[in-house]
Amino acid sequence: MSAPEGAKTQRLSSKAISAPPEQILHDLLAESPSILASIVDNLPVALFVKDADHDFRVVLWNKKQEDITTIPREKALGRTDFHMFSQESAQYFRQVDEAVVRRGKLFEIPEEIISTPGGGDIWLKTTKAPVFDTTRNRTFVIGISEDITPQIRVREQLKELNTHLTLANQQLQETQLQLIQAEKMESVGRLAAGVAHEVKNPLALLLMGVEYLASGITENDPNLPEILTEMRDAIARADRIIRGLVDYSSSRQLSLESHELLPLVENALLLTRHEVRKGNINVEVIFEKDLPPVFIDLAKMEQIFVNLIINAVHAMEGRPRPNLEIYAYATRIPEVERDEGARTARHLRSGDEVVIVEIRDNGSGISEENMQKIFDPFFTTKATGVGTGLGLSVVRKIIELHRGRISLRNRVSGGVAVSLTLKVAPTVQDELDKGPFKKKQ
Amino acid sequence: MSKKILIIDDEAGFTKLLRMNLERNGDYEVMIENHSVHALKTAQAFQPDLVLLDLVMPGLDGGDVAALFQADPKLKKVPVIMLTALVAHGETSTGSVAQAAGVTVLPKPVEMATLRSCITDILEKS
Repeated sequence: MSAPEGAKTQRLSSKAISAPPEQILHDLLAESPSILASIVDNLPVALFVKDADHDFRVVLWNKKQEDITTIPREKALGRTDFHMFSQESAQYFRQVDEAVVRRGKLFEIPEEIISTPGGGDIWLKTTKAPVFDTTRNRTFVIGISEDITPQIRVREQLKELNTHLTLANQQLQETQLQLIQAEKMESVGRLAAGVAHEVKNPLALLLMGVEYLASGITENDPNLPEILTEMRDAIARADRIIRGLVDYSSSRQLSLESHELLPLVENALLLTRHEVRKGNINVEVIFEKDLPPVFIDLAKMEQIFVNLIINAVHAMEGRPRPNLEIYAYATRIPEVERDEGARTARHLRSGDEVVIVEIRDNGSGISEENMQKIFDPFFTTKATGVGTGLGLSVVRKIIELHRGRISLRNRVSGGVAVSLTLKVAPTVQDELDKGPFKKKQ
Repeated sequence: MSKKILIIDDEAGFTKLLRMNLERNGDYEVMIENHSVHALKTAQAFQPDLVLLDLVMPGLDGGDVAALFQADPKLKKVPVIMLTALVAHGETSTGSVAQAAGVTVLPKPVEMATLRSCITDILEKS
């Protein structure tokens, strides 16, 4: 008596619940041998098996493997890679297959390119493993490949886009540096008259010295040592200011190095000495003791100070008791506002050690309306010929290149305070901490 | 009696060497004032026959000092030679405003021969 269909299914199910999984598969294959071929064929990955004892001839070649290699099963079975692929590719596959058998363990090829007989190149991620048939004492190599050509193409496109982006970024930075340089050269023009005046004074002294010496001196002229000392000092002074101007004008590229701020501020004050004196401005430089060096481009940072000093001088024109304060101290960033820049590692972050420099004047201040536009290129309240309006936009650009911050505010007592935040230069210890032996946090 | 010259200039080294040159080759009594804010007081005490005045100075500039002298009855007639690094050679002999106002302007650096003849001329005239 044969059981009804439903009863048979019922019997299989009840057996399935109690039987171990390998038994279920065994029974399934015994009842329907073609199911294995169907499973293999419907796998979403390419699968092949090669007989290691027979010249690595193909013994299994699934549907997906047909698709990606464009080689039909009937042309693959019983053949070696040398029949199907280029000599170079086949040679490589053979080496890997032999290595898999020799080592007796799984082998992963994260990326391999093969030329298909269909003419196209495809990228595969392949895993190969040895299979030992102990009953028949035979060895096979099983391979599973995944077509990663689309991912590789996207990656290549991204790489290309990235190259374009890097190039565009380089060009942008180059243009910015050119703009900074152009602005600097314009300020050199504006400073020239003042610098000439500052150089003429030591020259006047030198001429006085020469006149004295030329009019005949005796060996024990009591004035002689003093004259020579004064002349030597005058030469050093003229040299200092000319060298300062040359250094200021040079250096087109951005070169960030560890520098002390005070000598830089002193040099900026030397270049603007004439303007400051003409404006009858009292200057106070207040630097915290042992201020750490900052990570800056010397010439560009000096450009910032010259620019800000000149701005302050202009803002204090005609004001009573003009006073310029340059105040610097070190601190740590307590909290960075959440903006675009703050999210990247290259910008200032909470806890970063910084130096804050404030350039404070007691001039006319900035109206609320102008404060909004103050960093806009070509915005200026100065008369034609006095300024192009590029100054502060360039100052901000230079600060951005230093990954620093700039802000402006009206002071309660009148005038403006410009605040610069600059990263402290990394110490030798910082560099060591960044290295391969960095301690885990 | 030697003539009295007052130099008002904040460039201490320059004034020192200028005085040496003036005293060596001329019969002058020279006084230096490096701080323009004290210029009036020094001039009132010294009563110079001629003033050599710098233009760009911190505190009071040359113009301010000249104005103070103009307002002082004992100093208003004292001739002034302005020495400045601001003007270029060639700009001084073109009948400038300064000359019109009776002030002689000489550019720095100045040669002693030029300065000396200028001083002599002015002192002879006054």
